Amino acid sequence: MSKSVAIVGAGQTHHARRRTDVTQVGLAREAAIRALQDADLTMDDIDSVIVCTGPVLFAAVNQPEKWLVDALGARLKPVVRVTSGGGTGLAGALAAVNQIKGGFADRVLVVAYDKLSEGALQYSISTLYDPFWGREFAVGIMGFSAAAWRGRMDQLGHTEEAAALVSVKNHKNAHLNEYAHVRKEITVEDVMNSRPLCWPIKLLDVPPISDGACAVVIASEDAAKKADTPAWIRGMAYYSEADNAANRSTVQSEPLEIAARHVYAEAGITNPRRQVDVVEVQEPYTCFELSYYESLGLCEPGGAAALIESGATEMSGDIPVNPSGGCMGANPIGATALIRLAEVAQQVRGRSGEHQIENAKVGLMQAGGGWANLRGVAAVSSEKG
Amino acid sequence: MSELRPAWDSLQHVDLISETVNTALLGSGLDIRDIGVVIDCGSDVLDGRSISNCGFLGAMGAHHKEESRVEEDGLFGAMYALNKLAGGSAKVGLIVAYSKPSESIVENYYRTIAEPFYQRPVGLNKAVASGLLASQYLQETGASEEDLASIAAHAWTAASQNPTIVGAEARTAADIEASEYAAAPLRSLALSRPTDGAVAVLVAIESVAKRITPNPVWITGTGSAMESQFFSERTPGRLEAAEVAASSALRRAGRKDAAGFSMAEVSAPSAAEEAMVVEALGLAPRGQAAAAYGGDVDINPSGGSLPADPIMATGLVRLHEAAIRLNGGLEGSTATSALVHGSGGIGSQTHSVFTLEV
Repeated sequence: MSKSVAIVGAGQTHHARRRTDVTQVGLAREAAIRALQDADLTMDDIDSVIVCTGPVLFAAVNQPEKWLVDALGARLKPVVRVTSGGGTGLAGALAAVNQIKGGFADRVLVVAYDKLSEGALQYSISTLYDPFWGREFAVGIMGFSAAAWRGRMDQLGHTEEAAALVSVKNHKNAHLNEYAHVRKEITVEDVMNSRPLCWPIKLLDVPPISDGACAVVIASEDAAKKADTPAWIRGMAYYSEADNAANRSTVQSEPLEIAARHVYAEAGITNPRRQVDVVEVQEPYTCFELSYYESLGLCEPGGAAALIESGATEMSGDIPVNPSGGCMGANPIGATALIRLAEVAQQVRGRSGEHQIENAKVGLMQAGGGWANLRGVAAVSSEKG
Repeated sequence: MSELRPAWDSLQHVDLISETVNTALLGSGLDIRDIGVVIDCGSDVLDGRSISNCGFLGAMGAHHKEESRVEEDGLFGAMYALNKLAGGSAKVGLIVAYSKPSESIVENYYRTIAEPFYQRPVGLNKAVASGLLASQYLQETGASEEDLASIAAHAWTAASQNPTIVGAEARTAADIEASEYAAAPLRSLALSRPTDGAVAVLVAIESVAKRITPNPVWITGTGSAMESQFFSERTPGRLEAAEVAASSALRRAGRKDAAGFSMAEVSAPSAAEEAMVVEALGLAPRGQAAAAYGGDVDINPSGGSLPADPIMATGLVRLHEAAIRLNGGLEGSTATSALVHGSGGIGSQTHSVFTLEV
């Protein structure tokens, strides 16, 4: 990146299945206040606000940023909402980075949230598909995901147990995360014996449905120099893949590979397994975390099952993935991507509390949405580079 | 840009979008491979589809490209693309904005923008919100219902000469005043008419623009601001957020005020808000917007948004209408600079302003 940009504050809510104590805007405000406090700033220091949510059908408020503006104290500032499926938090962070690099703002507050207890989630997701060609058979996102997983099992020989290890690891890690919604340790047997929802997807392969919000403050190089321990954004990209076409690979994600290549080139990462200290991925189902290992180049194509079995992605391993517990810990969809970014930023800033990876200097995160066709990646570092 | 029609019943979203994108690229010397970023402005609610941009990626030419949905008027999407270019992360950007309100219940689109606890239960919708602003405008400034009628008559009459707008008849102030009240003091012909349509705009960095066209239109300033949704928090009779957006854009353009611009293209859901925007841009003293039409600055020569409001695309249509008047794309136009304005929400809650020069 030609001009350096950094994350100087991050905050998230305590996530839960149903946050009855706050409205949607109260939830978003809670995260925004934590991020501003973490950055030691106030709204007076913020030039622009980006709001991110999942599809508005999720919570039945159209253009919710128009409601949020008051709760955030952002009246008469530029406020705009970026929505790009489940990865929208990263798309919003990228919009903020562009505002700063383009000279439009020095400090941008990015606020991402979803209050999934207030809507009919799978119904809303089903409307993703083409009303003429897709909607009648593509129910929710689970059928598509199960087919993708089955494809990987058939072509790569990966087992259900390998994916179960993802759930076990992430549940274990979420136990250390004070903001997580689900904090319960489980075993491979628990996953294997859990109720099949759409085979091979079983109940414990699926993250919870959560209410939650996350906010980060992103700053220009000059503004970041005034901050304690900025997390420098060394690369960020969000790519799409058109149409649910028959020639799409369900084994590897091309847009993710493109995004990763772009970010690695920007960040000077040639060997992610060695150069990255901590990874956070947005895993809507366990099998996706495995495929991300490959698309991100943490192992060779097809090597994901062996990687998780080796223990390398455990917190104690050489390439820890999801020390926060990932989506298994909390899954407020519109916020999850920004949570991943906030988590790696806090890791390289040394502010991750119980789930801190010691001496983490370079963090990598992945986000995604749509029908697995929107994919983003970012790298952050304690060094400006 | 597509024609703006009450209903594009022969084309689906993907058809409208792909035709519009192809038209934008045609003759530009660029093809889809040159596009570094695609920004889409549409509405899941109007499209009846979650993440509706996902279904339109192919039509937009966004396959394996960086694409983001700014779920706001297209002029805000253009601002995103400009920042991307100004920051050096892309050389050419494509902004696509569209909607087919004919396939949607537009009333629900506006009602569900109102926050659900205090504003929605009292029935705030587009007409009511605009009517409240209009009555405050008349009360605070001394402007009259005749002024609103004259602004609406200008809009419809100009639109009747605009070949891209389908079904707009020339109307007199008397015609406007003869239409029924939609939300007093606003007559139904003083409220914007939703239309189907799509618009695509290409933006490029200076070195590319100079290579591909002898007549580039330079974007010299942008600004944006959002007002509170609560009417009790707003200053009656004015659109403060539009004032802030305009002053930011003018400051970035190195201009003190709106004096000297050849033309303005502004968006508004009602004639009263059009008047308030014209005043917020500094094109008329408060309460005197109606008298500014036909003056030094040509206001809404396209007809503006009252006769044709392709929700989500309306502000980007303004940018298109201004650009073709600056780049020789419209015979007879001598304009050399323009103020362009887009807005969103109910009661004109958010505003974006661009300055264009050649």
